[in-house]
Amino acid sequence: MSTTMPVEPLNPAVLAARHNEDILVGDELVRHSRVSRLLHWAVAISFFVGLFTGLPIWTPLFGWMAYLFGGLEVCRWLHPWAGVAFALFSVWMFFYWLGDMRMLPGETREWFGPKLWTYMKYEDEPDAGKYNGGQKLFFYAVSLGMLGLLLTGLVMWFPLLFPRWLRGLSIVLHDFTFICFMVGIVMHIYLGTTAEPGTFRSMTQGTVTKPWARLHHPGWLRTVTENKDRRA
Amino acid sequence: MAQTLEIKRSSASMWGSHTGIRTSPTVAKYIDTTTCIGCKACEAACQEWNDLRRVPHQQIGTYQTLPELHADFWNLIRFKEQEVNGDFNWLMRKDQCMHCADPGCLAACPAPGAIVQYENGIVDVNQDKCIGCGYCATGCPFDVPKFHAKGGKMAKCTLCVDRVEVGLEPACIKACPTGCLNFGTKEDMVALGNTRVKALQANGFKDAVLYDPQGVGGTSVVTVLKYDKPEWYKLPADPHVGLLVRAWKNVLRPLGVVAAAAAVIGTFAHFATYGPKVPPEDRDDASSGSGR
Repeated sequence: MSTTMPVEPLNPAVLAARHNEDILVGDELVRHSRVSRLLHWAVAISFFVGLFTGLPIWTPLFGWMAYLFGGLEVCRWLHPWAGVAFALFSVWMFFYWLGDMRMLPGETREWFGPKLWTYMKYEDEPDAGKYNGGQKLFFYAVSLGMLGLLLTGLVMWFPLLFPRWLRGLSIVLHDFTFICFMVGIVMHIYLGTTAEPGTFRSMTQGTVTKPWARLHHPGWLRTVTENKDRRA
Repeated sequence: MAQTLEIKRSSASMWGSHTGIRTSPTVAKYIDTTTCIGCKACEAACQEWNDLRRVPHQQIGTYQTLPELHADFWNLIRFKEQEVNGDFNWLMRKDQCMHCADPGCLAACPAPGAIVQYENGIVDVNQDKCIGCGYCATGCPFDVPKFHAKGGKMAKCTLCVDRVEVGLEPACIKACPTGCLNFGTKEDMVALGNTRVKALQANGFKDAVLYDPQGVGGTSVVTVLKYDKPEWYKLPADPHVGLLVRAWKNVLRPLGVVAAAAAVIGTFAHFATYGPKVPPEDRDDASSGSGR
């Protein structure tokens, strides 16, 4: 060993991930560009601020969370603003990602049926592109849910401007949507971390390995490899 | 907030705070709309005793002070010109918090202890715990709690809990010059009301009723009406705590907690059954699979 510490050169794939995505660099594929990742985390952080300020208002069972922010009055003030940030970043992300989210013919029907279960049992999906059908459907469901939370949330934010029945309905719909959201987010975090190792780094450094892509998104791997060949 | 009174029910409470140590009978206001002369002494007394700001009057074409109750105006005489069988009737009713036995405001309130119901039936807002979300206004079938823009909190009639707890009658009752207002135990006031209704019926007002709506468990304000048409007096005919409020407190809340717990348990069960999904190339090398 020499006396000076050897400096690892920066991973060229990670460097490339600053401005590009869907390319192959060495043995790694760039899955999410820097803008894409920052958008995802902006949505995630605003969501969790909204979640932790909303839960203590929702039920006293989570009342202790209010102290993280300085009390329930602060939550009541912060929650709608977190919601505004969440909605703005979500809309931005929606249009940024929409191009990759086109459903293939028959895919929607498949995923509402047996495909969901075979996916949960880890069966191969040779056709999965950059996003599989379930991911795409989740994307649309979350976007729709965001819209529902925004509209009902506005009514709850300014109750004096709306009739009583609409306020009551908004609270019920806000709660229902958020319950679906909470279940969805638990699954999303599980699949993105523990269940599928190698996935989380696509949202941190932006790259994934070839074996990961071959297993989870073989269609995407083919496309990216072909593009590289074409460019070369 | 009166600390000496036993709290029967408290908003957004996990276990409740009812001790049962102090007992007291349910109290009630008695309002006889047939002997009200619309002098508004009760309005003035309410403003004065509760140290409320003066609210600019709004002319709406009647003698009524304001179109609706206000965060700074908790006692409002409503004036209504009503034609009955070709005859003109001038109906007056004292409007304020009804102090329901089953209060919709308390059911809807998300802030622990911001709305309490005392053992004697009085429903009160504790502004120090109120977060000003306005859910109580959504839960109230009488549209009573109002948002105080200056304080950012909700406000309404307290039934002069600070007077009642030391044995005085509410300020509005004390000020009434005709005796159309009275105060005592709910039992006594209902008896008084029934006597008055019988007297009215015997004198030609066959439709006279005592308004004590059972849909909200009865109220601590019992009102004698000359006509069995609550809507003429701007009272709901059969008030209930809204179905949507019940749905969100009694159905969605437990359902949501169960759903969240089920989702977490479900992921653990899935992981225990199928484990992580690792590419075949990485399966023998645990370190490369972690992905960090």
